[in-house]
Amino acid sequence: MSPRPIDPASDATADKPRNTRNTGPGRLLIAVYAVFAISATARAGYQILTKFGEAPLAYTLSAFAAVVYIIATVSLSKPGVTWFKVSVAALVVELVGVLVVGALSVFDAVNFPHQTVWSLFGRGYGFIPLLLPILGLIWLYRRRPSAVHRAPAGTQDTAP
Amino acid sequence: MDAYFYIILGVGLLSTIICLTAGLLKKAPNDTTILSVAAVEVALLVYLVGSVIRVIAGENIAGEAWEFWGYLATALLLPPIAVYWSILERTRWSNFVLAAVGVTAVVMAARMNQIWY
Repeated sequence: MSPRPIDPASDATADKPRNTRNTGPGRLLIAVYAVFAISATARAGYQILTKFGEAPLAYTLSAFAAVVYIIATVSLSKPGVTWFKVSVAALVVELVGVLVVGALSVFDAVNFPHQTVWSLFGRGYGFIPLLLPILGLIWLYRRRPSAVHRAPAGTQDTAP
Repeated sequence: MDAYFYIILGVGLLSTIICLTAGLLKKAPNDTTILSVAAVEVALLVYLVGSVIRVIAGENIAGEAWEFWGYLATALLLPPIAVYWSILERTRWSNFVLAAVGVTAVVMAARMNQIWY
């Protein structure tokens, strides 16, 4: 009688999910997100504290972007299905934000004269703000929880 | 742009190229890549000491002083954090994390120069 494949429900990894998203390329992703979280927070904080009246909308957007980057950084480094969903949500919001703010700053430059991280699709930051959510979502898709659970037994690190 | 910037530009880009190459060659972080990041930290420390001396000597920072020191303090934290991380997981991907330090330091040094002058 050959041992049954690990049952996901009783598997130890189901109680304490091994994080497969914060290793390898995931670490690089988290590192870049962390740099953006720090710089966006510092920049938004500076803009709001010193010259909020000049462009409330742009600086509120800056602060919003900073919060999204913080949530993305934290959720990408945490294990579990819930954090996975938080990551997906944060990255989708980020992608939509870059595309909408980027398009608005190109087509409606009058109302968006002030710089945010996402202005001109993140050109001021080497277009990294545009690339990050795309690469991040590809990474999350490849390491989505259902795919990890369906992985062949040989790739699991626990054996009964 | 002053000499401090060009020192960090040279050291930072060199470090990024070394770490990027090591990562592309599928190597784990080694003495070469970690020392190149340490060199970035030394370059930033030179900038710190030089800036402190200039302020004591009576030179004025044209922009917001706290913004300048904020950038410098943050930049000084990056190399140790990245090296610590690369030691925790010794895979080729950590070399890409290390590679990010050099360019980030260059960008931050450029901004610090703008604030100073």
